[in-house]
Amino acid sequence: MGKELLELQLMNPRGETEPPPVLAPNLRIKDIAGKKIGLYSNSKPGMDNFYTAIDQLLKKRYPTMTTSVLKGSFEIRDEEAKAFASQIDAFIYAVGD
Amino acid sequence: MAGTVKLEKLGKPGVFIACDTFADAAKSAAEDNAMPAVRIRIISAAEFYRVRGSVSEVMPLAERVLDDLIDALTIPLTANETGTQKKDEGAENAVVTITGESFSTALEEFNKVFLDNLWGDGLPLVPPTPERVKWMLSGTSRSPYEIVGKVPPKQGMATIEKIAINAVMAGAKPEYLPVIIAAMEALTDKDYDSRHILLSAGSFSLMIVVSGPIANEIGMRSGIGFLGHGWRANNTIGRAVRLATLNIGHIWPALNDMALTGRISPHTFFTFAENADLNAWEPYHVTQGYETEDSCVTVATIGVGRTFYGGSIGTWTAQGILDRIVQNVLGVGRMMFGSWGTKGVGDIPGSGGGVTRHLIILFPAITAELKKLGINDRLSLQDEIYKKAVVRYEDLSPAEVQSIQTALGPGYELAIPPEHKHIFQNSLKSGGMVPVQISPRDINIFVAGNAPGDATGFDYLRLPPYKPTGILTKKISGATLTKNGRK
Repeated sequence: MGKELLELQLMNPRGETEPPPVLAPNLRIKDIAGKKIGLYSNSKPGMDNFYTAIDQLLKKRYPTMTTSVLKGSFEIRDEEAKAFASQIDAFIYAVGD
Repeated sequence: MAGTVKLEKLGKPGVFIACDTFADAAKSAAEDNAMPAVRIRIISAAEFYRVRGSVSEVMPLAERVLDDLIDALTIPLTANETGTQKKDEGAENAVVTITGESFSTALEEFNKVFLDNLWGDGLPLVPPTPERVKWMLSGTSRSPYEIVGKVPPKQGMATIEKIAINAVMAGAKPEYLPVIIAAMEALTDKDYDSRHILLSAGSFSLMIVVSGPIANEIGMRSGIGFLGHGWRANNTIGRAVRLATLNIGHIWPALNDMALTGRISPHTFFTFAENADLNAWEPYHVTQGYETEDSCVTVATIGVGRTFYGGSIGTWTAQGILDRIVQNVLGVGRMMFGSWGTKGVGDIPGSGGGVTRHLIILFPAITAELKKLGINDRLSLQDEIYKKAVVRYEDLSPAEVQSIQTALGPGYELAIPPEHKHIFQNSLKSGGMVPVQISPRDINIFVAGNAPGDATGFDYLRLPPYKPTGILTKKISGATLTKNGRK
């Protein structure tokens, strides 16, 4: 006969959450050529240098593409997002972290 | 990540770049922002931080990542990426069963399972049995089902019961529970930037100060060593708040808490009480609009600390300590002028920069000595520091003047509130003396310690990145086991 096990009933300390809805990303663009690519970053040091490099490389490979570079808050503000989205076909977003 | 999802919601395909050290945090944030399949591309943190200083240095990294970024924008989404089915994690069990051959082995197993689940703080925990949680709840008249607020980043619901479970695990006593609940009310208030203190790469910490008669009643330490170990009330109240934030918010280091060096005093925060017996001034909470007989908790985000001296090591004078405080406020403030007019880290113009909030802890004896200088209370000391921490207009650089002028402009009403604008409009001219603080009330002063004592201080942003404040005072209510904190 085995030894009887001691049992501890314990309450779960984790906060209950409401799972957010799941949205799918947008369909991708077919090609970079001829498109306007948005480059958004916050003001963390060095992101401007990285984006300058990306900007130069993209334009070298796709001479007909253009970029729109915007520096703003960590999370782009609503009004800026609307204006930015209206100017671009696709975007790269980085915050330097 | 929220910004990336915001632009995706506006119909534009995008890609988010994260350093490898933040990869898990980025994925977690993508889920929190309802777009788990948002495309993320990873670069090496070690390399990026080293080469980001110039375009030529960062170019090789950009060359290597370019194809990846182009692919992220042009390669069609997979079936998995276009799916919109909610991740089925299954509901977590309300009760967890642990077994062992003895209490000792069951206790060890409990600690292992909880830590494996990321439900702890690394120190041994007290088992939150239903009986023990019921005992803890006997300290409050509030319903276990009442929701106090939500804790980021997962917006976990902080019910009274969940707070009580974490208080048990911390080793707290039921009479401490109303204090812990009030601290959680402050942290989850709509105006408190809990996201920054709990998740930021800047390794900030939290000060939890109890003022009013409940502090003595529950045995909080406010004498020598008040920030130290050995005081069950101070230490377990702080630990309960720490565990409640970790477990209710689903927070874990390097997963979504990106504090690079960890948070100082990570298990108990900086939890203490004002010294009601020796403090010649009215309690701190009275300056926040509460009655003297109320008991309150003040929660404040803090950065690094410093001492202004006092103590038994050398002679001290109130004037000498006051001078050191002024020099510190002035030195820190002068460094910050250039960021008053920044665009802002978050939604609020100027947020995440600008003026510093000071949190100064004076020892009781100094309050009596300050009287000899004509400083009879907290407000007059705040005014004195504010008046002295000024910079001559002629000593400001054009960039500093421009920064302050930007903060005086439209949209910056939280950076410089309208009632304070005239001070800066009048001082930004020849012969003017420009305060480094917006208001004397941004110099928060507490009285704790004993004789001999040491004046010490911390500081933080007056306007944090994501919400309007990093300091809030809440009244303790619902206590059932103490005379104070009941209403």
